[in-house]
Amino acid sequence: MSDLRSIVPELRNALDRNQLDAANNLLSRAKRSLLLENALIPTPSTPPQLISLAREVLEFGAIASIRQTDADTFTRYYQQLQPFYDLERHASTPGESAGNVDFSTSQRSKITGLYLLLLLSTGNSTNFHTVLEGLVEEASLNGKSVEDDPYIKYPVELERNLMEGSYDKVWRETKSERVPSEDFGLFSNVLVGTIRSEIADCFEKAYPSLPIFNAKNLLFLESEGAVIEFAQQRGWILRDGRIHFPVEPEQAARSEKDILVASSTVIENTIGYARELETIV
Amino acid sequence: MPERRSLRSNSNSNKDKPAPARSTANKSKSAAPSKKAGSTNSSADSNMGKGDQRQANGSDPTKDGAKGSEDVEMGEDTAGGPTSSINTRKEREGDEMTVVVPPTKGSRLSGGQGPDKEGDVAMDEGDESKSEPKIDPKVKAIQDIKTNFTLLERAVTQFDPRFTLRVLRSISSMRKHITADVLSEVIVETYPPSSLTASFLLDAIDRSGAIESAVASSEMEVDSEKNKSSPKEILPEVDTYLSILAQIYLYDKKDIQKGAKFSTELIERLRTLNRRTLDSLAARVYFYYSLFFEQIAPLPPSPAATVTSIRQPLLAALRTAVLRKDADTQATVMTLLLRNYLSTSHISQADLLISHNQFPVSASNNQIARYLYYLGRIRAIQLQYTDAHDNLIGATRKSPTSNIARGFYQASHKLLVVVELLMGDIPDRAIFRQPALERSMHPYFLLSQSVSVGDLDGFLNIVTTHTATFRKDGTYTLILRLRQNVIKTGIRMISLSYSRISLRDICLRLGLDSEESAEYIVAKAIRDGVIEASLDHESGYMKSKEVGDIYATREPGEVFDERIRACLALHDESVKAMRFPMNQHRLELKSAQEARERERELAKEIQEGDMDDEDAGGDFDAI
Repeated sequence: MSDLRSIVPELRNALDRNQLDAANNLLSRAKRSLLLENALIPTPSTPPQLISLAREVLEFGAIASIRQTDADTFTRYYQQLQPFYDLERHASTPGESAGNVDFSTSQRSKITGLYLLLLLSTGNSTNFHTVLEGLVEEASLNGKSVEDDPYIKYPVELERNLMEGSYDKVWRETKSERVPSEDFGLFSNVLVGTIRSEIADCFEKAYPSLPIFNAKNLLFLESEGAVIEFAQQRGWILRDGRIHFPVEPEQAARSEKDILVASSTVIENTIGYARELETIV
Repeated sequence: MPERRSLRSNSNSNKDKPAPARSTANKSKSAAPSKKAGSTNSSADSNMGKGDQRQANGSDPTKDGAKGSEDVEMGEDTAGGPTSSINTRKEREGDEMTVVVPPTKGSRLSGGQGPDKEGDVAMDEGDESKSEPKIDPKVKAIQDIKTNFTLLERAVTQFDPRFTLRVLRSISSMRKHITADVLSEVIVETYPPSSLTASFLLDAIDRSGAIESAVASSEMEVDSEKNKSSPKEILPEVDTYLSILAQIYLYDKKDIQKGAKFSTELIERLRTLNRRTLDSLAARVYFYYSLFFEQIAPLPPSPAATVTSIRQPLLAALRTAVLRKDADTQATVMTLLLRNYLSTSHISQADLLISHNQFPVSASNNQIARYLYYLGRIRAIQLQYTDAHDNLIGATRKSPTSNIARGFYQASHKLLVVVELLMGDIPDRAIFRQPALERSMHPYFLLSQSVSVGDLDGFLNIVTTHTATFRKDGTYTLILRLRQNVIKTGIRMISLSYSRISLRDICLRLGLDSEESAEYIVAKAIRDGVIEASLDHESGYMKSKEVGDIYATREPGEVFDERIRACLALHDESVKAMRFPMNQHRLELKSAQEARERERELAKEIQEGDMDDEDAGGDFDAI
C-alpha cells in the first residue's frame, strides 16, 4: 500500500508530461502491487483508501493506453474499472453511504466518454447504445440528463449528428477547441476519416459531377491536390476541373435479364403453391 | 421507393394476418363438437360449466377490470399484476379449452376411465356451485381449496399437469376470499397438529396459535373425522399450493417484508424437492418471490435495488430447472431474470443471459409473450430493429387483448410503435383506435403523426411535452433516436412534392441549422435509398428523379409470394397445434380393417359365384 501511494503521484506526473514509456513501467509495478494487495476487484473487505488508489491506477492505465492508441488495452481497463464505478453509482444514490471511499478524484465520466467515443469510431453502435441506455437511466434517476456532463455529451452529440448526416457539424466538433479534453482529440482523426469516406459514398450516389474546388470544402480537405489524390484513391474521373462520379452502367441491361429471372421464379412459386394446396385439400 | 412499399406491406400484413387465424380457430371450434358428439353428455355439461365459470370471472369487478381504459403502468402489470398474470394465464387456458381441449376430454371419456369421468363431473358441479349466491364466502373458499387438494392428488397419481394448471387457474377467482382465517382453518384441518409445515405456514400468516386452539376445541368433539384425515400422507404439492395462497395473502395485504422472508424460506424448502408434478407450482412460487423483492426499497431503477440481491438464487433456480428439464420454472425464472436485469438497465447482462440460454419451447403462452417483449426491448436498445420488431409483434399477438392484462398489452404496443417508427414505417392507425389503447397511446399517436409528416419542430415539441410519459414507459432513449427518421420522412415528402427545390428551402422547411447540413443530409438520404434524386452543388438545388411504376417491377410478385408463404406457414402451424384424441386412430383402423374384410369376403363371394356375370351383378345389387 505504501509503495502504491508513491507510485500514483509518479504516474500522474509521467502522464502529465506524456512520458508513456515511464508510465507503462509504473503501471505494471502498480498493478503488481494491487494484485498482491488483492485489490484489483473491490470487495467489501477492501479498505476504502485502497479502493480509490486502485481506481486511480486503472484510470491512469486507461488514459495511457488511449494515448498509445491501444484500443484493446483501453477496453480491458474500462471493463476492470466497472466494479469500481458500480460502487460509485451505489454511493451516489440517495440514502446510501459512500463507505468512506473517496470519489472526488474519480474520472468516471471522462473514461466513459472516451469509451463511448471509441465505440463510435469503431462503428460499434450496439454497444454504444447499450452503454448509453444505462447512463441515461442513471442520469434521470438523479434528476439530470446525460447531456449535463460535457464528457458524455460530446460522443452523444457526435453520434446523433453522424446518424442524421450533419457531417459539417461532426467536422466542427472534432476541431481541437470544441473537444472537451485533449484525450478526446485523439479520436478526431479516426472520426474525420470515417466521415470523409461516408461523404464520398454519398457523393457517388447524389451528384453526377462536382467541381474540384467545391469538393475540397465538402470533404474537409486542405488543398485541391489532396482532393485529386483522394479522388484517384476512390477511382473517380477528373475532367475539366470537375470530378465525374462513375455511373453504374448496368441500369439498362439489367431489365432484360430481370424478366428472365422473374419469370422462372414466378413459375417456381406457382408450382409451389399448387403443391401446397394439394396437400391441404 | 422501398420504404413506401414496406410500409404498405406492413400495414396490410397487420390487417391480413388475423383473418386466417380466426378462420382456423373457427374451423377447429366447429370441428370440436363433431368429435365431442361421440362422448357422453357429461362432457358437454362440463364444458358449459367451464364456459360459465370463465364468464363469471371475466365479469368479476376485480381491480384490473376496474382500471378501464386508463393507462396501466407496465411495472404494475407484469409484476404488479399477480392478478393480471394469473388472470392472463387463466384467460388463455380458457380460450384454449373451448378450442382444443374438448376432443381430448372426449377421448379420455371414451377411453372408458369411469372414475375420472365422475371426478370431472363432481368437480364441475363444485364450480357451478360457485356461481350460486348466498353461500358464506368463507365456507365456500375453504371448500374450494379442499376440492383443489383432490385435483392436486389426482395430478400426482395420474401425472397429468393439466390438473395442476386448473388449480392454479382457480386462484384468481378465490383470491378475494383468501383471509388469514380461511387459510388457518384449512391448514389446521389438513395437517396433523405436530406438522412442521403447518406451523411454518401458520407463522407466515400470523396465526401460529391456531393449531393449539384447534386441538383444544377438537378434544371436545368426536374425533372420528380427525382420525380419517391424519394418517393420510400430505403431498408436497398441497404444501406448495397452500404456500402460494399464503404468498398471495401476504402480497394483497401489502406485507412485503414478511412475504419476502416467507418466500425465501419457501424457496429453500422447494429446492430440496425434485418432483415433476411440482413444477408449475414452483414456477408460481418464484414469481411471487421476485414480486416481493421488487417492492422493497431501494426500488429498481437505482443500481443498489433490492432486486439485485435475488439474482443469485434465481440463477441457481434456473440452473436446477434446466438440469431437471423443468420447463415451467425455467421459463418463469428466465423472464423474471430478464425483468430484473432490465429494471436496473443491465442490458449487456440480459443479453448474455439470452445468448447462453434457450427459452423452453413448451413454455406457457404468457411466459413466451413476456420473453418476447423483453427480447424485443433488448434488441431495440441494441439497434436491431428488425429482430425487435419480430419479437414485439409476437408479444403483442400473444398477449391477451381483454381487460385482464391490459398493462402488458399497452406496454408492448408502445414499444412496438416506437420500433416501427424507427424502422421507417408508420404504424397502422387502427392500433391507436383500439379502446384498450386509445388513451394511453395518445402521446405515441401524436408522435407517429409528426414523424409521418416529417415535422421536426412538432416532433421536438411532442417529445418535450411528454418527456415524463416516455421516460416512465422506458421508451425515451428510443424516441430520441427518432429525430433522424423525422428528417428522412421530411426529405421524402419534399422530394415527392417538388421536382426541384433549393437546398435553402429544404433547410427552412426541415428546421435545420444550415444549408451545408441540409446538403449532407440530403446526400445521405440519397445514398440510403430514402429518395431518388440528385444534387447540383453549384446552383444549390435538389432534383428528384422520375419515379418508375412500381407494378412494372418484381416487387408486387415478391410481396404476394411473402404473404402466401405466411398463410401456408400459418396453416401448417395450426395443423401442428391441433390436439387429437389419443386412441381415435385405432378405431378408424379397426373400421378400416372391417371394411377390408368385407371387401375380401365380397371378392371371395364373387370368386365363388364363379364366372357367372349375372350372378355377380345380382350380388352387387343386393349389397
